[in-house]
Order: sequence, then C-alpha cells, then structure tokens
Amino acid sequence: MLLNLRRWMLAAGLGVASLGLTGPAAAQETTFVFATSEVGVSSYNPIPATLTNAAFSMIYDTLVVQDSDLSYHPSLAESWEEAPDGMAWTFHLKPGVTFHNGRPFNAATVVKWIDLFRGSENSYMIDAVASVEAVDDLTVRFVMKNPDPNLLFNLSSSFMGIPDPEAVAELGEDFGITEAIGTGPFKLESFTQGQETVLVRNDDYTWGSPLSANKGPAHIARITFREIAEDSTAYLELKSGGVDALMSIPTDYLGEIKAEPELAVAEMPGQEVFYMAINVAKDPFTDLKVRQAAALAINQKEILDNVFGGYGKEAHNFLISALPESKLPADADISYDPAKAAALLDEAGWVLGADGVRAKDGQRLSVALWTQSDSIFRRLTEVVQAELKAVGIEAKITTFDSSTIKDEFKSGNQQLAVRSYFWPNADIVDWFFSAERLGYPNTSMFNDPKAEELRVKAMTGSATQEERIANFTAYHEYVTRQFPYAPIYQPVQNMAYNIDRIEMPAEIHATQITGVVMVDVKVKE
Amino acid sequence: MSLPRSLSPLGRAMATPLGGLAGGWLILVILAAVLAPVLTPYDYDIQNLPQSFRAPDAEHWLGTDEFGRDLLTRILFGARTSLSVAVTSILISVAAGMILGALAGYLGGRFDRIVTTLVDLTWSFPEILVALILVAIIGPGATGTMVAIAVAYLAQFTRLTRAQVMAIRAETYVEAARSLGASDAHILIRHLIPNALAPVLVTAMLSTGDAIILEATLGFFGLGAQPPVPSWGSMMSSGSALLFKAPWIIIFPGLAVAAAVIAINVFGGALIAALDVRSRPREG
Repeated sequence: MLLNLRRWMLAAGLGVASLGLTGPAAAQETTFVFATSEVGVSSYNPIPATLTNAAFSMIYDTLVVQDSDLSYHPSLAESWEEAPDGMAWTFHLKPGVTFHNGRPFNAATVVKWIDLFRGSENSYMIDAVASVEAVDDLTVRFVMKNPDPNLLFNLSSSFMGIPDPEAVAELGEDFGITEAIGTGPFKLESFTQGQETVLVRNDDYTWGSPLSANKGPAHIARITFREIAEDSTAYLELKSGGVDALMSIPTDYLGEIKAEPELAVAEMPGQEVFYMAINVAKDPFTDLKVRQAAALAINQKEILDNVFGGYGKEAHNFLISALPESKLPADADISYDPAKAAALLDEAGWVLGADGVRAKDGQRLSVALWTQSDSIFRRLTEVVQAELKAVGIEAKITTFDSSTIKDEFKSGNQQLAVRSYFWPNADIVDWFFSAERLGYPNTSMFNDPKAEELRVKAMTGSATQEERIANFTAYHEYVTRQFPYAPIYQPVQNMAYNIDRIEMPAEIHATQITGVVMVDVKVKE
Repeated sequence: MSLPRSLSPLGRAMATPLGGLAGGWLILVILAAVLAPVLTPYDYDIQNLPQSFRAPDAEHWLGTDEFGRDLLTRILFGARTSLSVAVTSILISVAAGMILGALAGYLGGRFDRIVTTLVDLTWSFPEILVALILVAIIGPGATGTMVAIAVAYLAQFTRLTRAQVMAIRAETYVEAARSLGASDAHILIRHLIPNALAPVLVTAMLSTGDAIILEATLGFFGLGAQPPVPSWGSMMSSGSALLFKAPWIIIFPGLAVAAAVIAINVFGGALIAALDVRSRPREG
C-alpha cells in the first residue's frame, strides 16, 4: 500500500517534471534479465562480495575501466603514473564527482575505502599495496610493498567499485541491501534478493568514461533486472516480450534467437572456462598417471559440437585464449587422446575388466563425479561421465544444488567435479590452485611446493607486465603438467535483446556488459 | 450392482469399469518396467551424440534425448526407478507409521504425546519441504530419495492408525479379549491392527501416486536417482531446458507420470468403494 503510494507520487512527480521541462522522452523504462551465472547476489556491497552482477558496475564506478581489447582507460581517475621502480602509483581524480547521497568523491574517500577493503574477502586484490595517501584533495598515491603490474586490472574489477565509505560505516550490514551509495550512472531503488533489482538514472552523472559515447546521464531512466535461473524460462520471457533483453543465452537457443526477426544477439569475447577439477589428494588421483588419463579422456571437440552446438572454443588449458598466459608449449596443452589414456591406466596397474571398468588389486576404478543442478552442468557432466567410461573409469554423478556445492567442496570429499569460472585474468590460476585455499576455491586440493614457489613469484615477484606474463605462464604450465584439472570448453558471451525495444551501442568497449555500456543503451519508444 | 462375494477387495475394485481400466494400465506399467530390457533393442545409458534431438519416428518411437538415447527406452527404465522408489518408500512409511501409530494409540500417555508431537512436527511442513531437507542431509540418490519420501508421509499413516486404534480399543470385543487374558501384543496384532488396516491401505494406495510426483519433483531438482539412471522427473528436468528445441523430451515422461498418477487415484477410488465396511459381507 505504502509502496504503491510512493510509486504513484513518484510517477506524478515525474509527470510534472516532464510537463515543465519537456526533457528526455517520458518513459525510458526497460526490463533486463541478469546472466544466469550472475543469479544469487546477496548484497550490493562490493567489498565483501564473492559474486557480482551487471548492476554493480552501474551503481559503482571504478578508478579505471578495461576495454574489450583488455587495455585500461580513465574512469574516476583522470590519469595515473607508475613510479619507474613500480613501488608507487599516483592517481589524479576527476573533479566534481559526487556520490548518490551528495557527498563529494575525493582522495580522502579512496583512502577510507581501501581501509575498508583490508581484511575483506577480496583483500588479496590490494595485498601488494602497503598504504594509500591523499597527496592533495584530488591526488592519491598507492605505496607498494612490491611491484604489482596487475593493480590496474584489480582496480577495474567490479569488486573494486567504490562505495561511499561513510555510508558503509553508517549502514553496516544493511549497506548494499536497503541502500547502495556509489558514484555510478544508476542508483539502487530497490533490491529483492533472488528476484529483482530496480535501478534509476543518476541525473547528476557527468563523469562518463571515454569508453562510453555518452558522458552525461544515461538514456535509460529506470531499469529492472530480473533474476531467472532457468534458461528456457528466460528465453520464453524474451520471446513473449515480458523482458527486453537477456544478459546471457545458452547456445541451445542461439539458432532460434537469430531466426526471430525482432531479436538480435550481441557477441562479446568469452571469459569463461568449463573444466573438470581433479582432487589430487584422493585416491586413485594421487597417482599422476591416473589424473593424466582422466584428463586425456575428455573429448573437447565432441563436447563443443554436440553440447554447445559448435559455438565457442575448445579449452586446452586453464585460461581463456585471449590471455597471453594461455599460450603454453604445445606438449603442455591437454587434448583428447584416448589411446594414451588407456596406456597410462595400463601402466598404473589398472586393468580393463569384463564390465568395461578397470580394476587394480580387486578394487574397481570407480570415482565420484560432482556437479551442480543447473541444466547445462548436468548435461555436460553426463557426457563427461560417458567419456570417462570409454577409457574404463566409472564415474558416479552426484548433483548438488548450486548454492550449497561450495560448502560441500570444503569437505574435500570430491574426486572429480565439473565446474566453470568467469574471469579474464591469469591470477585465476592462483585463486583455484593456491595451497592457501584448499577445499574451496582449490577444489583440486592441489598443494605442491614447486607450484607454490612459482605462484608466489607470479603473484608478488613481477616488476613489469612482461615479467608478470612470463611468471604466470610458467606457473600455469607447471600446474597444468600436474593434471589437477582437465580443460573442457570456452563459451562465447552472448546477450540477446529485442530490437524493437532496445538500441545497443554499435561497439561494446568493455569486457562484458557494464555501466560503461549501459549509459549508451537506449530504449525505443 | 451385485458382485460375487468370493472376490477380494482388489478383485472387486478391478471389476468396475473405471477401476478395471486404471488397474489394467497400472499392470501394464509394472510389466513394462519389469520387462524393460526385453522390450527395447536400445540401451538406456549408451550415448550416441550425433543422434541427439531426433523427433519421434519409426526407429525411435518417442524420439531421442539430448544425448541421442532412445526416449521410449529411458521411459521404460525410468518406470523402474519411479515405481520402485515410490512403492518402497510408501511401504517403509506404512510399516513404520502403523507400528508407531498402533503403539501410540494403544499405550497412550507419554509415549503417545511424544509420537504425536514428533509426527505433527513433520506434518506442519509441506511434504516437499520435509523431503528436500532430508535429501540435503542424507545426500542425493535413490536411497536418499526413498528415506526422504518415507519420512515425509510417515505422519499421515501414524495419525491414521492411531485414530483407528483408539476408536477400536474401546470396542466390547477388545475388552472381551482382554478379560479372557489376552496379552497386549495379541490384542494389537490380532484385533487392532487388522481392523485399522483398510483405511491405511487405501491411503497408502493414494499416497503412492503422490510419492511418484514427489520422486519426480526431487528428480526434477536433480536430487533423485543420479545419471545415467533415468527417472521420469530427471528426464522432465533436462527436457525443460530444451522445451523449444525438443519438446518430446519433456512431454512423454510428463505423460507417463500423469497417466500413472491418475490411474493410481482412480484405482484407489475404486478400492475405497470395494473396501467400504458397510458393503463388505459379514464374516462367519
């Protein structure tokens, strides 16, 4: 009732405003559906977040933004310099920027925000930062413990969107749920967890990044994001006109969407990798040969063609192929080779039995294969199960609910698990294989002294970008040769939209759909 | 309508037209489940990816699924999972519920209060919620599903038996038996439980239909029988993601569930009529 009244008053207010000002077209209102991989955000506070969605980058600005070619561009920072020895970065902030509540954004804000970041879930992003100082009102200096060529990447990530530190302190647990105060082109109007997020335009916004055509307030006045976990339901909503755009679409529907005259697909380079984690701490996968055999049993081409309709790419190591660190020596890449898999299992003493399953000392080669309940995971996992069976490994599937599987991994009881990640940086190898995060995210329970040495060198011992690439390539190669995972597939990113309702910018200058893109999106009246 | 008195309640239920139709369908489904391996030339678990998404034709009567497996074969084998899980869990539920209910109703007092409270506790949640919680604890798979469904339906059998036993306990023939020196166990087993049986059987029959749906629901969430073992629910679940590409993958298992549950309900209705105490010929 109260809500209705407020809505009515808002509508009336808008009506009066448009009468008086004849400003932008009356109702730039639209409804989008979040990508299925981004369903389930519990709060719009970026500091402790472990999952973010497109709305984060619309509410919060970052110091720098990344283009689709992975280069960095100004956002809240107008310009920046790195000290020649890499031990300090100086950022010059844009003047006149204010938060949604009117507080000014300045150097002091950045200092307070980095303080809040320490000790949070994501503090590894500023591990290399010793301290942050306000040089003057609009200049801030990051003093480094060690050079970190990856600092700009971290500062451009949605986890490092900058909230009003005062509001975070005032609201505590409620920050990001009842209110979310950033400097971004959109303000949070309401958030119903698991259902919908409503954003309204920030009319004061005049600090758009050079990657957006529009530097002023966004065209869209009000946007509702819905969370729909099941792809077919989301597709039906798009087809029936219930929503205007889906921020992800399954490859199964690509053909159908392209055939519909009023629907269009916007493609972006993929940032996701599907893989099978292999728990090196659990028998029989304590044996390197058995791990390698399981990895070589995965038929990347069969999966690409039959499960994903030929859209996307085969994966042959842990990183998306756009990253320079993904270029490993050819013999380190993992590709389907059933004959070699069989030979390795023979060598390891696992002999093929009459039922098609191998055995050693009376024990069958039967392992647990974990997956999550999303339909694409279940489907992919069944194909993986059949491929493992083809080399004599019996894999028993256990399906967990997507929201509880992380806790299950912490038990360390998994043997094999089909998983995916979405991240355009080589430090994901550290995230999933660091000995500091056994169980989850290190579902492979990978703990190897040589790998740790290479990891530390890659994470903290690189002075320049070139050195970092060399160090991460070496770390990535070493991990890959130990077979704690089997690479499967790299999807392309697709969003689908209704061309009668939405006008997308001609070129997308971002690694995914973010605030940088959304300020240029128009609703057709 | 006068029926031969010699027929058992099941026979009398089968002799009505609707009951006969429903019973006939159920017998057919059970036979199909038992004889699945001889009825089909295909394997339920061998993938043939290039043959995926074939629409129904002469070779694959109901089409193929997303892995190129024959859908009819999967439905026949799925009947094994769905029926065995549903029937077993209801049998467990009936056995446990009757023992608990009979003891609670006969003994009364503190034992009765404890049982009633516990049972009411599970009854205050929808069955699906109880089942989901239990599967989360026990872990997914056929065993987990069986236990979860059994516990979810335990409440109604316990309460039903308890109510019946409490009603019959005061009957004169029970008092007569007791005054003749019959033991508690004798009274329970010979007099109370047999007389409480009829309504429990009918409820069990109807609950089996619900259990098939609950099993399909858990399967739909991916928590039932784990692949490649088919169950109607998990088949519908994978079909739901492919609704527009290959609608037959969800439609046929859905029809199988619907037909089985309707048949059970219709037959259960016929059984109620056949078991009605007033229409039953008096013994002796």
